[in-house]
Amino acid sequence: METLAATGDVKRKSFFRDWILTVDHKKIGIMYALTSIIFFFFGGLAAILIRTQLALPDTQVLEPQQFNQAFTVHGTIMIFLWIIPMLTGAFGNYLVPIMIGAHDMAFPRMNALSFWLFLLGGLVLFVSFFVGAVPDVGWTAYPPYSIESQGAGLDFWITSVHILGLSSILAAINFIVSTWNMRTEGMTFNRMPLFVWANLVTSFIQLFGTPALAGAVTTLLLDRHFGTVFYNVQAGGDPMLYQHLFWFYSHPAVYVMIIPAMGIVSEILPVFARKPIFGYKAIAYSSIMIGLLGFMVWAHHMFVAGMQMTEGIPFMITSMIIAVPTSIKIFNWLATLWGGQIKYTTPMLFVSLGFLGLFTIGGLSGIMLGAVPLDLHLHDTYFVVAHFHYVVFGGSMTAIMAGMFFWFPKVTGRMYHEKFGQVAFWMYFIGTNLTFFPMHFIGMAGMPRRVFFYQPELTTLNQVATIGSFVIGIASLLLIANLVHAIFKGQKAVQNPWGAQTLEWTNASSPPTEFNFEEMPVVTSDPYQFGEKKDGKTLDDDGVTA
Amino acid sequence: MSSAAQKEISQIGGGQVGLSNFYLPEALTGTAKDIDGLFGMIVWIALVMFILVEALLVIFLIRYKRKHPDKHGKAIDGNTKAEVIWTLIPALILVFIGIYSTSMVYTIQEPPENVYEIKVTGMKWAWEFEYPNGAKSFNDLRIPEGENVLFKIYSKDVIHSFWIPEFRIKQDAVPGRETRFWVNADQLSGGENKYEKRVICAEYCGNQHSLMLADLQIMPAKEFTAWVDAELTRPKTDAQYVVQANGCTSCHTIDGGKSAGPTWKGLFGKKQIVNGQEVTVDEKYLEEAIVQPDAKTPEGYSTGMMPAFQMEPEAIKNVVEYIKSLQ
Ligand code: HEM
Ligand SMILES: [Cu+2]
Repeated sequence: METLAATGDVKRKSFFRDWILTVDHKKIGIMYALTSIIFFFFGGLAAILIRTQLALPDTQVLEPQQFNQAFTVHGTIMIFLWIIPMLTGAFGNYLVPIMIGAHDMAFPRMNALSFWLFLLGGLVLFVSFFVGAVPDVGWTAYPPYSIESQGAGLDFWITSVHILGLSSILAAINFIVSTWNMRTEGMTFNRMPLFVWANLVTSFIQLFGTPALAGAVTTLLLDRHFGTVFYNVQAGGDPMLYQHLFWFYSHPAVYVMIIPAMGIVSEILPVFARKPIFGYKAIAYSSIMIGLLGFMVWAHHMFVAGMQMTEGIPFMITSMIIAVPTSIKIFNWLATLWGGQIKYTTPMLFVSLGFLGLFTIGGLSGIMLGAVPLDLHLHDTYFVVAHFHYVVFGGSMTAIMAGMFFWFPKVTGRMYHEKFGQVAFWMYFIGTNLTFFPMHFIGMAGMPRRVFFYQPELTTLNQVATIGSFVIGIASLLLIANLVHAIFKGQKAVQNPWGAQTLEWTNASSPPTEFNFEEMPVVTSDPYQFGEKKDGKTLDDDGVTA
Repeated sequence: MSSAAQKEISQIGGGQVGLSNFYLPEALTGTAKDIDGLFGMIVWIALVMFILVEALLVIFLIRYKRKHPDKHGKAIDGNTKAEVIWTLIPALILVFIGIYSTSMVYTIQEPPENVYEIKVTGMKWAWEFEYPNGAKSFNDLRIPEGENVLFKIYSKDVIHSFWIPEFRIKQDAVPGRETRFWVNADQLSGGENKYEKRVICAEYCGNQHSLMLADLQIMPAKEFTAWVDAELTRPKTDAQYVVQANGCTSCHTIDGGKSAGPTWKGLFGKKQIVNGQEVTVDEKYLEEAIVQPDAKTPEGYSTGMMPAFQMEPEAIKNVVEYIKSLQ
């Protein structure tokens, strides 16, 4: 913290003034990061508990109820308190203003409010641990089961989701307004770094999607305590309404978890391949396509939930269509590597082998699930668990890891340890495949998700997954240890150690000063002007700005 | 490993479970075989795409590794032709998958004429099956071989999901709604016709969700008819039936595990504190606990949890004997 705070010419007054009252987007971003990393630790602990229970078909490490609480807590934390706040809150806040050449966000105080609401929302969820009623309803909280759920745990859960939703909406508005209005001279939309594009699309998704989630959980709360009958079938209610509302938010939410990650990939690949990003516009506009289509596929989570099978067909079609912009991106990234001069660094390994290699698997299993006839068998099995972990863990998480290492020198002014970073990458990569690949087969063979008991013939595959999860656990600790060590002992970083061309590297010191830039930068091209022109001349690394 | 477990293993997929069929269990219906066909097709397409992407990735990473620290790559920032190709080809493949799947959905959905209807009801945490003649079975699904069977699926409480992996189909049991699917099943290979714990609840439904399992038997039509008829007239006082029909095991376990109520394992003969006094659980105690549960609530449990059951004396006697046997 000490080193983080020592940002150049900022006069250090007190911790309280410096951090608690700050409206600086960089500090808010750092607070988002630290807070969500702490939450991630608890989410990971829950995951390890789950996998430990599943090491044998019927061990009793956890009581049934504790097991159910563990997967509820795991899912909720990872989605609402780790991936989303890390990508939008931490990376978005730190990078967007500085990447578009602004001093800060459009509404700095509202930005601070978003962070404090996020922290509050997280704490409210954790309160349920202490009132002794951890919710056990899964992260989806389907009624009528969730309405019967005893104790105040679920009420805290609902309150927490509300607060977090408010935080997301405020942040989304802030990002949209900032990106629209605060761009520096010459920073046209088509020159914006792809991370900024990604963040913009994500913000629109948050803005339009979150209210549906708020509606879903509000009706739960009303049914639980105020005598309404949204989901009471005896009184004419219908539990499927909840699922429609929930997935109308939560399918787009999976894109909230992946589009910014794709943005990070698009930033890091060109830098270490020393090539311009291939198909800038294709990548930017396919994000928009994904953002739009993302609102039209929600019922693919409900193919067997009580709709007619044929009602699933339109949603199958949209789910197939949405795979097209996704594959466009994959091929553009591959083409970016082609003919490059690739340097193997920790962030580069994470985005190339990590993100591209693993996310592809999740995309392909998504297509299988999107086909109604296959989903009849695969829905609610471990195959689904494999699918979404390949996209969220193999995709979003590897991008987060890559981003943490990539921007670490910028944020802290220190370099991390490259060798250990790469060792941890390999452990992470192997652990991920060990954990999640067997789950495809476990699911196909007949193991549903959210169970603590399975048939003994699936023991070996489950044990491989459990061992993999321990490997991931160790790898995550190594990764964090590397960064923590570097904060105190790392080498001093120069302004632009990677030779990158976005404004935070070309025009701001490491770490940046309070207002980011000494002089407002002026932009004359997109930020990926790498590569050898035909005449053999190399572009200047600072070629972006005048 | 017990021999029972061993037997179960050999049953999965008729002894063929493994990578060769992607670990899918044996397909027992025509629909299941069609679905496997589609599955195979999509898997192969996915495998080709997978190998293409991963191979290019690895080749590029190795081939273009930077040898000189200052070198740059080629300054190529796009190519419209390439973009069109890698937009159109995946799009066409996906259209193909979409059309193929769509036609299949209609065949899966439409039941043929002359179906034999079985009412399936999910409840916390058991399955009830009701046959056309009114006979009911609990956690024991039997269907006639080679006949069209239509499952009409209901729920008594929360959402469950009725899944039989060998049929490749599940449908949620949603309160207030009827869902359905139909099958025409062959026997399991290897002459076995009983399949333990293969009717699975796939939608999370609370504490004992993992154990909401029923057995499946696919019987030759004649045997099946005889069984349903006998089932209807059989006096329903045997312990298994009474316990299932009244849903006792949704709160009591028989294996010592914890649940909402005390486990039955080792209950008989146990000493426990009731209303501040130590008593030994005997036949009389158990009888009273069933008929008038709130009269004596053991320490650690609250009154009002368990309903009072009206049962024939014969039924009560059998249940008590059953609990006695769980030592
Ligand atoms: C090619 C694009 C994709 C397709 C066609 C697709 C399709 C699907 C389908 C059909 C399901 C529901 C499966 C079921 O419950 O039976 C599903 C679940 C899921 N997908 Fe995807 N998906 C795609 C990409 C993604 C991405 C990019 C993410 C996130 C980064 C994602 C995250 C999830 C999650 C979290 C679930 C499970 C939610 C739950 O039930 O708890 N998917 N996907
Ligand atoms: Cu989805």
